[in-house]
Amino acid sequence: MKHTILLTLLAFLFWACGGGDQKEGAVEADVLSLAWSDIEQQARGSTVNLMMWQGDPLINAYMQNYVKPAVKKQYDIDLQIASGQGGIIVQALLAESQAGKEESELDMVWINGETFYQLRQIDALFGPWTDKLPNGQYIDFENPFIGQDFQQPVDGHECPWGNVQMAFIYDSLKVSAPPQNRAELLTFARQNPGRFTFDNHFTGLTFLKVLLMDIAGGPQALAGPFNEAKYQQYAPLLWDYIREIKPYLWKQGNAFPEAVAPMHQMFANGELWFTMSNNDSEVDNKVLQGLFPESARAYVWAVGTIQNSHFMGITKHAPHKAGAMVVANFLVSPEAQYRKQDPLTWGDGTVLDLKKLPLEWQEKFRSLPNRRYAPSREEIQARALPELAPEYMIRLAADFRKEILGQ
Amino acid sequence: MANRLIKYFFIGLLLFPFAFLLLLSLGRGWAYPDVLPQHWTVENWRFIWGIQAGLGRSALLSLSISLGIAGPVTLASFVVSKFIAYDRHRRRWLVLAYLPYVFAPVILAACLQGFFLRAELSGKVWGVMVAQLFITFPYGVIFFSGFWNEHMLAMEQLVATLGGTVRQAYARVLIPIARGALMTCFFQVFLISWFEYGLTTLIGVGKVQTLTLKVFQYVTEANIFYAALASCLLVMPPVVLLWLNKKYVFSRVG
Amino acid sequence: MVVKSRSQAAHQRLCISERALGHNVTFHPATCDVLTFDVSTCDVQTFRAMKPHYAKYLALGLFLALAVLPLLAGLGYVLAYSLGLVGFRSAGLTLVHWEAVLGSTFFWRTLAFSAYVAVMTIGLAVGAALWMVVTRPQAFLQGSLSLFIYFPLSIPAIVMAFFVFQMLSGGGLLSRIGYQLGLMEGLEQFPGLVNDTWGIGIITAHFLMAAPFFVILFANLYDNEKLAALVQLARTLGANPRQAAWRVAAPVLLQRAFAAIVLYGLFVMGAYEAPLLLGSQSQQMVSVLTIQKLQRFNLADIPQAYVISVAYAVLVLTLAVWLLGRGKRGDAR
Repeated sequence: MKHTILLTLLAFLFWACGGGDQKEGAVEADVLSLAWSDIEQQARGSTVNLMMWQGDPLINAYMQNYVKPAVKKQYDIDLQIASGQGGIIVQALLAESQAGKEESELDMVWINGETFYQLRQIDALFGPWTDKLPNGQYIDFENPFIGQDFQQPVDGHECPWGNVQMAFIYDSLKVSAPPQNRAELLTFARQNPGRFTFDNHFTGLTFLKVLLMDIAGGPQALAGPFNEAKYQQYAPLLWDYIREIKPYLWKQGNAFPEAVAPMHQMFANGELWFTMSNNDSEVDNKVLQGLFPESARAYVWAVGTIQNSHFMGITKHAPHKAGAMVVANFLVSPEAQYRKQDPLTWGDGTVLDLKKLPLEWQEKFRSLPNRRYAPSREEIQARALPELAPEYMIRLAADFRKEILGQ
Repeated sequence: MANRLIKYFFIGLLLFPFAFLLLLSLGRGWAYPDVLPQHWTVENWRFIWGIQAGLGRSALLSLSISLGIAGPVTLASFVVSKFIAYDRHRRRWLVLAYLPYVFAPVILAACLQGFFLRAELSGKVWGVMVAQLFITFPYGVIFFSGFWNEHMLAMEQLVATLGGTVRQAYARVLIPIARGALMTCFFQVFLISWFEYGLTTLIGVGKVQTLTLKVFQYVTEANIFYAALASCLLVMPPVVLLWLNKKYVFSRVG
Repeated sequence: MVVKSRSQAAHQRLCISERALGHNVTFHPATCDVLTFDVSTCDVQTFRAMKPHYAKYLALGLFLALAVLPLLAGLGYVLAYSLGLVGFRSAGLTLVHWEAVLGSTFFWRTLAFSAYVAVMTIGLAVGAALWMVVTRPQAFLQGSLSLFIYFPLSIPAIVMAFFVFQMLSGGGLLSRIGYQLGLMEGLEQFPGLVNDTWGIGIITAHFLMAAPFFVILFANLYDNEKLAALVQLARTLGANPRQAAWRVAAPVLLQRAFAAIVLYGLFVMGAYEAPLLLGSQSQQMVSVLTIQKLQRFNLADIPQAYVISVAYAVLVLTLAVWLLGRGKRGDAR
């Protein structure tokens, strides 16, 4: 009896863990050699599974009420949206590749930066495919903030979808002259202890990267691939600074909000005087939703903040690659990009080069309603810093735990 | 009188979280130090209803999965736990039943994921249900392990002695006695399945869209009014179920 | 031990056959609750002897298939991953991940903190529930409370964490009420009850979920074990109400619920959602640390997540064996 159990167990384990042999997909070559009209034809009637973060009601509304019905009507594509982001996507695709699955459950994924980097590491992305998209001609690929993802060439393996810049948000009734650099922030925190903090996730890490760049002497100092020597040189200075300001942070720096959501909540109820966002226009929709007070304002430091883009990728073993490409093409159409940029809809910056667009669209983009609480895009573009290579973020996350949290 | 007051106070405490979440879901603007939000509106509800197409269908799917799990699991674990409770190696079996809970749920999902992918069960409702069996069934077994005692054994033996069949022993004696426990276990298993997020996401690859999966992320949303609303959506169906079953709960002792 | 139980079994088979012949038992429907035959000498072994085996094997087989096999296989997979035998870019057998985790003091602090939160939560919840049930057993068995006590069970951890945060944070409801009552002049005077290093917020959230559960469990057992009669008996024999409740009823409830209490303790110890929102990074719980290694942000950290999982699993299983072993002494079997 015992032996039977043991043997079954071993067989089960073997079956589950053993690597599968993968056939290189003949389909891939097919799709990429087709003309666009054939791709559209092949896409008809297919179901495209997209996995994306679904934590923002405005983004969900845009997808559910506009994108989904539009691709159904125009291309007869059934777009199914599943909920999941970053680590979940990597975990799902990693498990599939370890199990030797030839057909992925997912066709498209909404990713950027470190997720893109990890998916490239595990070779889970299909490409290059973006040059097939008719609307690809409008995309501003020359712009390093759009054509590169965390210093990595996009290489046709993901399609730019939106572009945002990190911004600080403060309550103008409580703070008359918000700090513009790290020295001013330290002074401010000393005078007003407990009112400033940053989160322990993406946005907080972006903030640390901004500080690191400033310490290193500007964006050029850390440009290009990860440089261990430079990191070793500047990171200790960053930790010195954080240790100096730590006692004046919220909870004396013993705890940090786990994500921006609780930080926004504490800003809304007045416990914090600052919050921050990776989307420069978020303050507008949070005021409109009645969460932030109308005295909330967004701004960007004089030394600049990081601007980056987010992308749509197609999985390597996607069963409906043609459908996914058609959806991606729709997402970068002038119409879809125009709607997305409206602060009342979502407020996500476009990735299109307006100069390349037909005149009527240029006009429409220029006449989009203005932001009321966030600075205009033109105003902050000059203060845009490029993303650093993904290893910087990975190292900062690990060292922040070690140096500051004592883990 | 005092006893009655204490009782009502206690009921008030039990219901307070629900009232609070409901109120907050109808609010807008809640600046410190106001105790209540500044504005009241159904706009939040209308908005979420408008963008989450198919909430009703998701609720039905969730209901089918959870009922489909809770019923069989309650009965099966009731029977199986009896054999375990009366077995010579009772303790060893019980320790094994703890296995699913020694992992963090997300690790459990990660290590089960491979099996489901190979069995072609991932991305399917069936797969999600099988995955949920793995965590609910041992729960039931542990839950009932304290139920089987000498008294139960004696009752069962008595039925056998008097010529009753096993089926009669269950139908006429064991199940009626265990009604309260069965009801509690059913409800608990229903809830575990209803709120299951990690396994359902990973094994269902986000495609098996239960209600929990659809609104879960709003609970961690920055907008507390939407978060409260999502909490209401998650919590209300089980509460309604409970309310509908109140006769059953009330008549437990009779 | 085995020999003894075998001879007992023989004896019991004898006594059951006597009963089957109708020598020893008189059945009366009205008194079936208080049957007089001696169960202490005539129990489990007899039952095993008289049952058809196939049903038992079927039941245990089902248990193995659903509860044991997949999880042991999972444990094997996790162990293999932690040793570098499988997984992304695995480079063959290595102990480096184990050394990294076991050599870090933070890992041990995390385990200790998780245990502390579990013990505090379970201690408070079991204590409160026991007090409520033994002092007012009928309140939870009939009437409106027997319904409403179920309500909190339908609040999942993530919602409870959100609720507790809205109650206890600096800008939360309690702080607002305190301000309105003039007890404090601003939210900065409100004590830090969430995101604190003592885990007050986490313990509160889990307490609010656990206490009603134990009330229901104890009330059911109270009924099931006929404790009302036992308490009555104790009172007749001269015990005061306090003694009857705490010396007679409470120990039986604790004994009977022991497995469930241990299980709930493990739930709390492995909890993720409430610690994530209400905890502090300088004092983490084990699931939070595991997920951090698994998903944030370095693929090279994944094996460490699996090391933590295996180490935690071994620890918890040992704990369960030990606790259930202790529980056995009081067990009537």
